[in-house]
Amino acid sequence: MKPVSVLDLANLPDADVVALAQQGREPAYRELIRRYERPVFSLVYRMVRDRELAEDLTQDTFIKVLSHIDKYRSEFKFSSWLFKISNNVAIDHLRRRQLDTVSMDGSPHATNADLTDATSFELPTQDETPLQELEARELGSEIERAIGRLRPEYRACILLRHVEDKSYEEIAATLDLPLGTVKTYIHRARHELRKLLEHLKEEGYDIADEPA
Amino acid sequence: MNHRHLLPNEIDLLVDEESGFGVQPLREHVRGCPDCNARLDSAKRVASALSEIPLIAPRYGLEDRVMSRVPVFVPWHVSARDSMVQWIPTGRAARLAAAAVVGVGGTLVSSLTLWIATRGDLVAMITGLAGEGAQRAAADAAGDLIVAILGPQVVTVVQQLGSLGVGLAMGGFVVASFATVFGLKRVAASTRARS
Repeated sequence: MKPVSVLDLANLPDADVVALAQQGREPAYRELIRRYERPVFSLVYRMVRDRELAEDLTQDTFIKVLSHIDKYRSEFKFSSWLFKISNNVAIDHLRRRQLDTVSMDGSPHATNADLTDATSFELPTQDETPLQELEARELGSEIERAIGRLRPEYRACILLRHVEDKSYEEIAATLDLPLGTVKTYIHRARHELRKLLEHLKEEGYDIADEPA
Repeated sequence: MNHRHLLPNEIDLLVDEESGFGVQPLREHVRGCPDCNARLDSAKRVASALSEIPLIAPRYGLEDRVMSRVPVFVPWHVSARDSMVQWIPTGRAARLAAAAVVGVGGTLVSSLTLWIATRGDLVAMITGLAGEGAQRAAADAAGDLIVAILGPQVVTVVQQLGSLGVGLAMGGFVVASFATVFGLKRVAASTRARS
């Protein structure tokens, strides 16, 4: 069989690149990573809103997907499968983090003010690290901040719809949700975003811009 | 004009630029209703802002970091095919020559197989002769081996005693085998103890 060069791979559709990866062709594995590293990272980063963590979760996603590439069934779109796993990885992390969350305002079981004071703590003030600065720049626009305030399920739906340009049916398949639920989530997400961004319109800013 | 204002899901249909049945009356309503027009405008602005947010690149080297932890699995049929492909010459002339050799060889082998298949009696006879020859050669070799181990006199005595002789010879062989194994173990144990 004629070896497929990297340039040829770039022109092949996903299904063919995946077929080559299933035959154990390493360049095909690499092509899939190159093709999807930005979309997957963007989705995961916007879900967890922590750059370093998003790097790790994106890496975990690709390792999971490529280690089980032989189990991929071609009747699904590869991108749907990949986004499904990346979304699951991000949601799992968010759920774990929710369980690990400690209130800074003191124990919810405190029965009086002294006990509340005794169980509360303050985080030391720190200067912004370069990474935090980068994150603030990347996710700092009003629209990004508004996305960050949506529920994770809404966030995944709205990002897949508008950033990845997926149809409602594809989103339903990707997130394993009924079509009606996807429509509801997207509708609610849009509604919440409109409410969150309303003040900008009143102040005369374009919603994609960062106010000065 | 329809005086009912659009429902939120109807606004969504227009934002998603659906073209199905029933969308046209909604468009017509929006054209004549400033309130719904403003709602649609606001929804479209959010959708447009969302579609303009950029993709973000991960730190350089994700590809290598992932590949260092992913085992690339090559199925057996692919590796077998790859091994065969290695033997195919790259030059055109060499390929033609190889194809000719394979073609001639294949034709000869096929012809021979067909010829043998049509001569069933001959095959049976050759197989029988070969089987008999192999059997005789194996018996001779076993006899020679026994004579070499036990000596010709012992073999003559065993032959004279008949089945009793064979039994005695086998018993002696078993006893000798056990004695050899036991002796070797003792030698090994004493060597270990000395070291």
